[in-house]
Amino acid sequence: MSDNGKLKFTPFFGCMISTKYPQFEAAVRKTLPALGVELVDLEGFSCCPDPIYFKAFDKEEWVTLAARNLCVAEEAGLDLITCCSGCTATLKEAVHLLHDDVGLRDRVNARLEKVGREWKGTSKVRHIVTMVRDDVGLDKVEASLVRKLDGLRVAIHYGCHLLKPSKVMQVDDPDRPTILEDLMNAIGVEAVEHEEKVLCCGKACMDPEMPNEMTRDILKSIQKLDVDCMGLICPTCFDEYDVAQIKLSRKFKEEFKLPVIYYFQLLGLAQGLAPEEMGFKRHKIKVAPVLEKLDLAARQPG
Amino acid sequence: MTSINFDFKDKLDKIIGGELHSYCFQCGACVGDCPSARYSNRFNPRLIMLQCIMGQAEELLAEDSVIWECTNCYNCLERCPQDVRPAEVIIALKNMCGARKTRPTKVSDMVKAVQKSGLTGIVTPAINKIRDSLGLDPVKSVPVDEIKKLLR
Repeated sequence: MSDNGKLKFTPFFGCMISTKYPQFEAAVRKTLPALGVELVDLEGFSCCPDPIYFKAFDKEEWVTLAARNLCVAEEAGLDLITCCSGCTATLKEAVHLLHDDVGLRDRVNARLEKVGREWKGTSKVRHIVTMVRDDVGLDKVEASLVRKLDGLRVAIHYGCHLLKPSKVMQVDDPDRPTILEDLMNAIGVEAVEHEEKVLCCGKACMDPEMPNEMTRDILKSIQKLDVDCMGLICPTCFDEYDVAQIKLSRKFKEEFKLPVIYYFQLLGLAQGLAPEEMGFKRHKIKVAPVLEKLDLAARQPG
Repeated sequence: MTSINFDFKDKLDKIIGGELHSYCFQCGACVGDCPSARYSNRFNPRLIMLQCIMGQAEELLAEDSVIWECTNCYNCLERCPQDVRPAEVIIALKNMCGARKTRPTKVSDMVKAVQKSGLTGIVTPAINKIRDSLGLDPVKSVPVDEIKKLLR
């Protein structure tokens, strides 16, 4: 949404970023001003609700709570940007269903009436990376930097819900995406291709073993290459790689210690923000080797 | 010889996306790129759609049903030439497990958390302290009474 050329959105950080990985929220809030984006915080958002467990409970309850969140943004006349792929999956699918299915829309609005709200479909929902690519533009990202992260080799993990279902998400080619490579290149990072780039992290699978196998195969496909870290934009995938590497190392008796970094943390470093401000000490796999390579290590022990 | 459970099919058809199973013509395009099919020796989205068509409720809605092995990656939605949206049919099946009390406790726990606080994560003084150290405001509270009024 543009207001005198200024980009203005309400951010939807979601439960996982707000309560578990607030360093990602900090990175977003600290890097957007230099891109000319203003965030307007609203009162009243709830859990999106989550597209795996809550949706498995009851789809209609799920879409109703999602519609309520959409109403909060609509009532303020703002478009939403999401920073978590799960929240994106829920809110975008909800918009899609409510537009598509008139019967469902009527039922949902009948329920929303009880709390004095109505979904009208006036606010758009987008993942923050699409906003940066399409509204800000990569040239403006480059112009916001004080340095490029030249020489840093990053293996990208897309995660599923940024891209799929592609008809709903409308972000990129789900099989050959380039959006994250393009954003990485804009800050001087070399995005390194690996075999399992678009494999699911497995986090949403409720089998006790399968997610471990998937994560392990992705990490092994990255280990074959000489990369400094993994780069991603989904807190659920982060959960599966950062915390899980310690568990996987024990389980498979193999060494996994690949630092995992959220895109906006890398952007922050390139904009000259201090590593401490990006909250790296909250990461289980230490990012010190990455900071050393960027000559930023002295400022952050750990 | 098993018989088709039409009552099950009627109920599946009434859940968002559940009715799409009937468009499946069993081509198997959903299987090739399915990560669960790659990692599990029993998960096969084509067979799950066939079981829906054939109304095989008992197996699909059992406590140890294979449906919970779906990763929700949505590759099958990309591949399906019939727009069946197999992952969405599977989620509709998961919805049906509630009535049979075969739903994993992890699902119920998450829903209870949202009913109680409006969030899935727990807001502790510790997390707000960490947020403060990063220059962030405390986590905003959710109007929980509104959430309660909306949920059945």
